[in-house]
Amino acid sequence: MKALAAPLAAALLVLAAPARAEDVTVFAAASLKEGLDAVLRPFRSSRNARIAVSYAGSNALARQIEAGAPATLFIGADADWADYLEGRGLTVAGSRRDLLGNALVLIAPAASKALVKLEPGVDLARALGSGRLAIANPSAVPAGRYAKAALTALGAWGAVERRIAPTHSVRGALALVSRGEAPLGIVYATDARADKSVRIVDVFPESSHPPIVYPMVRLKGSGAATGELAAYLAGPDARIKWRGFGFRVPPP
Amino acid sequence: MPTREELEVVALSLKVSFWGVAWSLPIAIAAAFVLARKRFPGKTLFDAAVHLPLVLPPVVVGFALLVLFGRQGPLGRMLEPLGIVFAFRWTGAALAAAIMGFPLMVRAIRLAIDAVDARLELAARTLGASPVRVFFTVTLPLAWPGLVTGALLAFARALGEFGATVTFVSNIPGETQTLPLAIYTFTQSPGQDAQALRLSILSVILSLAALALSEWLVRKRSGAVPVHG
Amino acid sequence: MVEVDIAIRRGDFAVELAFASNAPIVALFGRSGAGKSTVVNAIAGIARPQRGRIVVSGRTLFDSSRHIDLPPEARRVGYVFQDALLFPHMTVGANLAYGERLTPAAERFVERDRVVALLDLGRLLERRPAGLSGGERQRAAIGRALLASPRVLLMDEPLASLDAPRKAEILAYIELLRDELKLPIVYVSHALEEVTRLADHMVLIAEGRAIAQGAVADVLARAEMRPHTGRFEAGAVVEARVARHDERYGLTTLVFDGGELVVPNVDALPGEPVRARIRARDVSLALSRPAGVSIQNIFAARVVSISHEFGAIVDVSLAIGATPLLARITRKAADELGLAPGGNVHAMVKAVSIDRRSVGFA
Repeated sequence: MKALAAPLAAALLVLAAPARAEDVTVFAAASLKEGLDAVLRPFRSSRNARIAVSYAGSNALARQIEAGAPATLFIGADADWADYLEGRGLTVAGSRRDLLGNALVLIAPAASKALVKLEPGVDLARALGSGRLAIANPSAVPAGRYAKAALTALGAWGAVERRIAPTHSVRGALALVSRGEAPLGIVYATDARADKSVRIVDVFPESSHPPIVYPMVRLKGSGAATGELAAYLAGPDARIKWRGFGFRVPPP
Repeated sequence: MPTREELEVVALSLKVSFWGVAWSLPIAIAAAFVLARKRFPGKTLFDAAVHLPLVLPPVVVGFALLVLFGRQGPLGRMLEPLGIVFAFRWTGAALAAAIMGFPLMVRAIRLAIDAVDARLELAARTLGASPVRVFFTVTLPLAWPGLVTGALLAFARALGEFGATVTFVSNIPGETQTLPLAIYTFTQSPGQDAQALRLSILSVILSLAALALSEWLVRKRSGAVPVHG
Repeated sequence: MVEVDIAIRRGDFAVELAFASNAPIVALFGRSGAGKSTVVNAIAGIARPQRGRIVVSGRTLFDSSRHIDLPPEARRVGYVFQDALLFPHMTVGANLAYGERLTPAAERFVERDRVVALLDLGRLLERRPAGLSGGERQRAAIGRALLASPRVLLMDEPLASLDAPRKAEILAYIELLRDELKLPIVYVSHALEEVTRLADHMVLIAEGRAIAQGAVADVLARAEMRPHTGRFEAGAVVEARVARHDERYGLTTLVFDGGELVVPNVDALPGEPVRARIRARDVSLALSRPAGVSIQNIFAARVVSISHEFGAIVDVSLAIGATPLLARITRKAADELGLAPGGNVHAMVKAVSIDRRSVGFA
């Protein structure tokens, strides 16, 4: 498979670029969708390059890149998958930086009156009642892993371990709470802001989980246009937009 | 040798698929009979509705199930006082499996009923049999191979059902984590490919066993092959 | 007693007719597509007339003016289909029992043993329909219909899919049924041979209408029959009785009201009533009684009418006493003999032409 991957990818790139400036293909974590789309809009109209973005779970994206998908820029939702790609020699050395940060929040349906303080010893089981806690799959999806780490740090994981509803992606968990199917859920702060039918009950202390970072790294075979895009995404104009969506922005 | 957890996943998958097929079989027979033998206004629409799960993306079906049968959904709320709950329970996984396999079952059974000479049914009525009796003593026995095929197809589909299940009832180990969900979870975690492979092999064994069972069931009623002329 | 008076549409085809019959067998005769099966389906309740009345043995099965329309399972009508339609997933025995079991014990008047013996089904009971011959299947179908204790037996071209030996075999069984069971039978056929052999009363159906009905002998002699009888079928039916057998020459003498008819040996006892079919093309005419001729049957007859429908060929309707007869001869011969209605002739019928198939039991 790998032997075919490179020539296949090259063929695809050649086919996809009919006598034009270089194409940029961004593989980005699903939770970046609204933000990245908005940030890209002015960039697209002012440049002569085609920018394609593929949103999915970081795990799926990383595996696809490993299998030879023609991405030029990767923005993941945790450090592990960027490490994974670097470890396999698929990235451009020295191009990695932490683009964004995020917060982890506990949400409830907008109409819910739930009051929970996220501190060590918090009794989530009682707050759940007979319902389930909607989180992304803790063994596979970054948002789920952060959630499990945070709950473990607060000593609440044991009590809720059997009361979770593990979803395919963090947006799935958001949908469950948004529809009222789950009384509580754990998602990123940016997800909560995007959906009017949920409200943030409390924010997980930053110390309770590994820092949520979105590493950005260029992939082998990418060209100058990708470099320009990467610089723009980290630049001052973009930063204002990122903050508007609720992302944390590391100092330049 | 499969571990205890692996056996639990297999047992859950069998439970979900079996009951999904068992509950939907009578409904599929009724739908197939109506489509094969009756004419009524809106029949084309009904036929299209039956085939909807076949053409829609499974995730869309799963989402529709969530909206209708979730705890907040209209049907879910209606059924809860009756003790019937689908949300986050194996019953929901069975429902998703049943819906996804339904069109396959109806198609196979309808073909079998179509192949039954309708004049045999008329002959039975002249002998004094009511339409219901005709159905159970003439039509159904002669359509038996189609019934078994339909049930098998739906069962196989149910064993492999992923998208609708994970969207509707999520991936709860021991409750809704059927074989496909478990296999997928293993493939998404680094270093667990071996477990994924083992479960995949178990999955294939189950499908082959189901196929063998259906062959035996059809052959057992060997005289059921209709002969005309 | 079977009374039918209906108007019924099948597709773009309209059937509208009425008949009533007390005879043991009433035959619905006509070409394929004339509407005969439609009538029988209406009696069975499988097809619904737009209007009309169907009464069998005093029981109203359908009456549009009174909104009576019994479903098939309530009509107690036995139906023998052209291709038997035995249930392929059951043995013959189970097929027989199907209708029997659905008949309330109080209403059963047909005994299983009797039917099995009558139709010779004993060896077939454990077999499946797929392995049976056409004749065996048809017998089983008749048995199945009978065991439901029907009030009337409908037979829709039951011999059509059988070869000649099987036809003869089943014909014999049907004659037996007619004589043994007091059951009215409605018999649909486009084969004149079957009708003349079995029926007493017939209804000639063409294009959805009953264009002639009455006693078989009478209807056969009517002008309306001619288009339906074809070149070989036109003829007359003579009701006769067996007078005596000639052992030495293997012949039988039948007596009817016009005289005596000599035929090759008929397997019947003296005194038994039979029907003999005499085809028109086997009848020759002479002005004077010929002598020294091989023909065994020579009758004095009166010319009733002469048709002119076949160009070179004419049909001459004769009467021997009260018995009608038909002779088919060339127009040239008719002219040469100077035949005219009212004239006297001699009708000659070769004994050999009245073969075993032409003689049936009345």
